[in-house]
Amino acid sequence: MCLQKNYVVAVMGKVEGQGESWHGHVTAVTVAPEYRRQQLAKKLMNMLEDISDKIDKAYFVDLFVRASNIPAIKMYEKLGYVIYRRVLRYYSGEEDGLDMRKALSRDVDKNSMIPLKKPVTPDELEYD
Amino acid sequence: MSSRFGMAGGIPERRVRPIWDAVDSRQFKSALKLSTSLLSKYPNSPYAIALKALILERMGKVEEALSVCLTAKERLYSDKLVFIDDLTLSTLQIVFQRLGHLDFATSCYEYACGKFPNNVDLMMGLFNCYVREYSYVKQQQTAIKMYKTVVEERFLLWAVCSIQLQVSCGNGEEKLLLLAEGLLKKHVVSHSLHEPEALLVYISVLEQQAKYGAALELLSGKMGSLLVIEVDKLYIQGRLLARSCDYVAAAEIFKKVMEICPDDWENFLNFLGCLLEDDSRWCNGMLSDQIHRPRFVDCKLSHLADEVFDTRVSIASDFVETLQTNATSDSLRCPYLAKLEIERRKHLYGTGDTVNLKEALLKYFCRFGHLACFATDVEMFFQVLSPDERTQLLTKFIESCEPPHTAQLKVLGKSITIFKIRELIGTMFRLPVNKLERAVKFMAELYCQNLSLSKDLDPQENMPGEDLLSLASNVLVQLFWRTRLLGYLLEAVMVLEYGLTIRRYSWQYKVLLVHLYSHLSALPLAYEWYKTLEIKNIMLETVSHHILPQMLISPLWVDSSDILKDYLKFMDDHFKESADLTFLAYRHRNYSKAVEFVEFKERLQHSHQYWMARIEAPILQLKQKADNIDEEECVLENMNSGIQLIDYSSEERCKALTFNEDMQSRPWWTPSSDKNYLLGPFEEDSIKTRENLLQQQQTTEREVRARIIIQIRALVPRLIYLSIQSASSSLKETLEANDSIFDDNMSLKMKSLLECYARSLGLAFNDAVKEITSIANGQKSLEVSCSSIIDWMNFAVFVGAWKLSSREPSSPDGDSWRPGSLHIVDNFLKKFIIEKLKAMKPLTEFPGNDLLILVQMVTEPLAWHSLVIQSCIRASYPSGKRKKKSGPTTDLLTSPLFQAIQGSIESLRGTLEELTKFMQDQINASDDEILDKLFAPFQRKGCSEGPGQIIHILEDLASGSSEEEHGDRIARALHSWSSIDCLRKILVGQRKVLTEFELICESKLKLLQTLKLQM
Repeated sequence: MCLQKNYVVAVMGKVEGQGESWHGHVTAVTVAPEYRRQQLAKKLMNMLEDISDKIDKAYFVDLFVRASNIPAIKMYEKLGYVIYRRVLRYYSGEEDGLDMRKALSRDVDKNSMIPLKKPVTPDELEYD
Repeated sequence: MSSRFGMAGGIPERRVRPIWDAVDSRQFKSALKLSTSLLSKYPNSPYAIALKALILERMGKVEEALSVCLTAKERLYSDKLVFIDDLTLSTLQIVFQRLGHLDFATSCYEYACGKFPNNVDLMMGLFNCYVREYSYVKQQQTAIKMYKTVVEERFLLWAVCSIQLQVSCGNGEEKLLLLAEGLLKKHVVSHSLHEPEALLVYISVLEQQAKYGAALELLSGKMGSLLVIEVDKLYIQGRLLARSCDYVAAAEIFKKVMEICPDDWENFLNFLGCLLEDDSRWCNGMLSDQIHRPRFVDCKLSHLADEVFDTRVSIASDFVETLQTNATSDSLRCPYLAKLEIERRKHLYGTGDTVNLKEALLKYFCRFGHLACFATDVEMFFQVLSPDERTQLLTKFIESCEPPHTAQLKVLGKSITIFKIRELIGTMFRLPVNKLERAVKFMAELYCQNLSLSKDLDPQENMPGEDLLSLASNVLVQLFWRTRLLGYLLEAVMVLEYGLTIRRYSWQYKVLLVHLYSHLSALPLAYEWYKTLEIKNIMLETVSHHILPQMLISPLWVDSSDILKDYLKFMDDHFKESADLTFLAYRHRNYSKAVEFVEFKERLQHSHQYWMARIEAPILQLKQKADNIDEEECVLENMNSGIQLIDYSSEERCKALTFNEDMQSRPWWTPSSDKNYLLGPFEEDSIKTRENLLQQQQTTEREVRARIIIQIRALVPRLIYLSIQSASSSLKETLEANDSIFDDNMSLKMKSLLECYARSLGLAFNDAVKEITSIANGQKSLEVSCSSIIDWMNFAVFVGAWKLSSREPSSPDGDSWRPGSLHIVDNFLKKFIIEKLKAMKPLTEFPGNDLLILVQMVTEPLAWHSLVIQSCIRASYPSGKRKKKSGPTTDLLTSPLFQAIQGSIESLRGTLEELTKFMQDQINASDDEILDKLFAPFQRKGCSEGPGQIIHILEDLASGSSEEEHGDRIARALHSWSSIDCLRKILVGQRKVLTEFELICESKLKLLQTLKLQM
């Protein structure tokens, strides 16, 4: 992973899942305040998506974001992510989380991005 | 949880599943019932017994769980048992681990592996046990056994990583790496490697042995194709070439990386370093300190001949120009920064011309001056210029700022950048006061003019121009430092509170406020803002320094205890979990991460802040209970009479300390937790060189001092314990001859600790004792820093207590301490406390640290001394009878020691009464009068100098704000602003600290009164 000057940005992720749920997961993405508004987060996300797609052959990339974090949600939407499902009280049993997803080339029909109609609880999440 | 054959631990799975389901849904009672029924069918099954132990542990029945677990272990060892599976062992392991008996779990696995030597599942479990115990050698041996059994690549890599850990974190010698290399080589010949991580580990083993050529061969060979990300591969190749001093080839490789990633600054530095044959990036290994990133690029003066240097530099310049031409994005900064770095190197070499550098900087400003990171980007290039050149360049920046059609956001960004550069390079500190005032007014006006740009922003988004209020607050603090007009300091607070009224998410404002409120002794407000920062996880390690040091010496014990608990919980949880994470990394074949996790844990385990918290948490408890000797003794008992902390005081151990605090987020006036420029007079020079000082010398000094503090503080609990014992013993000695519980051996041990303490204070024991005597007798004054005063006062108390029962024939001070050792301590304490008290001025008008030092004097040395007295008095009662009616005998009452105790009580009472009076005077002062006084500077409308001008600008904005201009949210926030409420809050915060301190003093007075009555 190439990083910008003075390690001012970082992205952390992993691949997980079984079968068609094999996916890249963004654990964290962050840009130091001084370096924001330079599209650095977009570059990092693209990098992670590229690795998930070409190297790990994943079907999609997903991430969790606080439902109240409107600027982040907007940014992910601009990057092509959709809200796949709402996870009730995901953050410390208080705030809802949004599970956002973006299909990769292996998911030709973009099935992984079809939103669920009902929210889920953290117990219903599948862990690998 | 079940085996492949529908059996779990030798029991059909259908019988076991309901128990696990009940456990998972926390239905422990029903789980226990089911388990009892299972046990009736399988009474000798270790698995069934282990399950019961697991349930009992979850129910909190720790002792019972351990006993059941041990029964399961016994059954496991039974000769009759023919079947042991990993499920049984892992269940036992879980329980043993939670009960803190990793060793039992390990021995179970060791036994099982001995009985079934070729069972890989069991060996994996055993490996896991050794990972938990950080037993690298045993890990290695087990991994090798597994490898020999099934010849799988992963087990070989587990062994190799275990060897690497022996070398980096254990006591293993580097030649062990030869063994790792041999193992890998042999495996590659027969099986090659199949995982990219395996190749990376192989390369790292070779690199650690400086076998760069062999590593390069691997990379360029067949196995090199395992690394599918081309850039990653090139990066490693370049690094290996550079470390083998093949700079020409390395430069070519890094050039290729630049072509693929033109915005990679680190890689450009690699490229330039190789061109100029400068090994500073390679000689100390790769940069590893992610917390204290250097602000300046380290480089050596080139040894190249002029001609060669010029050629290499022109190669770099041409390449950078090509990158600039090919740049496809406006936001690509690296090729332009690279130009600056080339000019800087030329200048350092002596062939550069600052004209070129200034020109390049101006171009960089025109292109990127609006970015928030501009000032940080160019800071090191400004350092090359003379003060005059910097000023000229800034003027050029300003002149270039007026293109008529530039977007408003960019113009604003550039204006902020200019202020930031002025702050960074220190020119703000050389401006006269009136110009500073003008500058800060301009900042406030600019903020107001541009607030409408934030009209439609989400409150969580950064606002354009937000930095202006932090900059303004910084200038106001400087104005306070220079003029000593409190109004400026209060205005600095108000400006930030105003900003937070508009947007509560700005952490920059909050951090500054934490420090400003701490300086104003309004600690509850500091703590409130600190809490809203919502610092979590590893940030607790890097950020807690903003609040922890001042809270620890404050009277806000409950909050301090919370901060310590949160921090220690995170750290201890991590230490508990980190081995599991490491094993997970092994299991997922992320070998390099396994090594990284262990090294990270090691770093945290040696963290300065962690050690400090480990030591200060029990000291805080001791402070809280010091008015009741019985409760104090319970606290001491829980920490093994202070013995467990003594280990931290070892000089050898302290050498391994790591410092993870991120100091860059602190305000300029308090660059480290023990430095506060505002407490002294204005020093232009110290600020001018601040950055350099902080980066080099001061950091080292701070670390040296931090190690000494750890060494001293780790001794305190044990010395408190020994002081109590010594005091009690001296009384008993007076009462009943030869009935001393504080034998000579204990006395010697105490003396030895006092000798260590004295050494940390910088003196030999005898000299330190003489120093105390001279000061107590008024023959000399102690000249030490404020932070050391407490260490000296504590030392005096402990020496005094030791002297009470010491039988040393000749004392360095001619035995002047006996029997009057208490008297000397009384004088010593009184002298410092009263001196400090006399120097104190009303808190609301004269902020600073003095109040907290006074608090520490009372809650530590004075409290420990009162414990010595409590111990004496308690011992004066016949054993088992501590009631007032059966008080001390007449003989004892007339003894010199008893009279000295009476004297001590009177002395302490006198001191505390004076303190209480001082506090009450401040607490009872009229709020309105104080507020009028504080608010006066802000009521002088129309004044063109002095404090108040900025807040007037902001107040005008607030009163004139409308929904149309600023949007509903901001307009509402602005209308709610009240300057006087902000000042009132400060007053309330300060009162809270005073009240808490007064309560502490009153409690101690009450105790002394009781003691007096008991005599």
